[in-house]
Amino acid sequence: MAVKFFGQYLVEQCIVTSNDLLDAINLQDKHNLKLGEIALAMGLISSADVQRAHNAQISKDLKLGDLLVEMGFLTIVQLEDIITRQKNTHLYIGEALLQVGALSQDNLQKHLDAFKADQDQYLSDSVELPVASVNSLLWEITADLTYKMITRVLGLPFRTGACIQKSVISPNFLLVGMDMSGDVEARYMISVSEGLQKTIARAILREESVEEESTEVLEDTVMEFVNIVCGNVAAKASQMGVIMDINPPVVIHQLLDGLPVPEEQTALCFPIYIGDGEIMEMILLITE
Amino acid sequence: MKKVLVVDDSLSVARQLEKIIGESGDFICVGHAKNGAEAIKMNHTEDPEIICMDMNMPGMDGLTALRTLSVMDKEVKVVMVTSLGGVGDKFTEALKLGAKNVISKPFEADNVLRILRAL
Repeated sequence: MAVKFFGQYLVEQCIVTSNDLLDAINLQDKHNLKLGEIALAMGLISSADVQRAHNAQISKDLKLGDLLVEMGFLTIVQLEDIITRQKNTHLYIGEALLQVGALSQDNLQKHLDAFKADQDQYLSDSVELPVASVNSLLWEITADLTYKMITRVLGLPFRTGACIQKSVISPNFLLVGMDMSGDVEARYMISVSEGLQKTIARAILREESVEEESTEVLEDTVMEFVNIVCGNVAAKASQMGVIMDINPPVVIHQLLDGLPVPEEQTALCFPIYIGDGEIMEMILLITE
Repeated sequence: MKKVLVVDDSLSVARQLEKIIGESGDFICVGHAKNGAEAIKMNHTEDPEIICMDMNMPGMDGLTALRTLSVMDKEVKVVMVTSLGGVGDKFTEALKLGAKNVISKPFEADNVLRILRAL
């Protein structure tokens, strides 16, 4: 019921053991050479060239291959040749599990099909952003995963409004946020009305009534929803080669007339209408 | 019945897991720790056979606690329960540190119990 990769799916379904998977990952680590290692093996560059490029990476935000070209150690044609060779010889986790004897060929295809069916529900639908961002695709995926989790985790019907850029975040009953760091710098926030907070609490706690629950528990359920969305966004990001760390969620103190957006940040707001008059807003506060 | 310790800073996740474990018939929840440091203390006082632990917690996080538990207690079986399960590096690191499995959030009761019963 979450964004996963194939090896994790197999362990979670108890189809292979964690030791089988670790053996397969170790085999991948030995077999799948890095770009610099392939270039060295092909005799195109020296280990000193690789070291010089690695040192240059400290001050330049470029991939190793692009740097080797920029520094004149490789031509673009040579780089493309290396990348093609890297792709063509890549040992995928399913094949690695076959090689360590954890799966048979018949089982591999059967489980691969089941895995694809499981993950199809997380294929992204398009979401339009009002402004361009370096990580536009990731923010579109973030909005889309939020919508999907409202359906899957909360079981709520809803309709979405167009994403708008705001200079002030509208006040609401509760505002919860989670900081994202690593290759991206942003804060993911969800604001909810009082009624919606209780609806979320009923869904997360799987209880018919939450009238007796403390404020702490009610707030915690919204924080957990934020945690689930952001964790799954981080999983999608890792599939895209983007490193994203997340911090524990927090309740954000609001001002009566809203929360002003700092000049150096962009606030993208996604209104979500649930039921009669219940308002949820997803906000991405992006620093670029 | 096997004793299970739940470790999660989220009260609502702890409630969900305690309910699943309590209603299973073959596991009993012996406590709830809110971070890794509490988990290490409660592993000593409650002596669980299984620990279900979150990764992303304030204070000592789950992977740091797992590293310590793997050295201190060779018997206890740790299953990570986390929204970060789909992040390949985190998942692999957890297994390398000795976790028996990693359950992604959102989870379903039958999936949690199948994994605990397979330990």
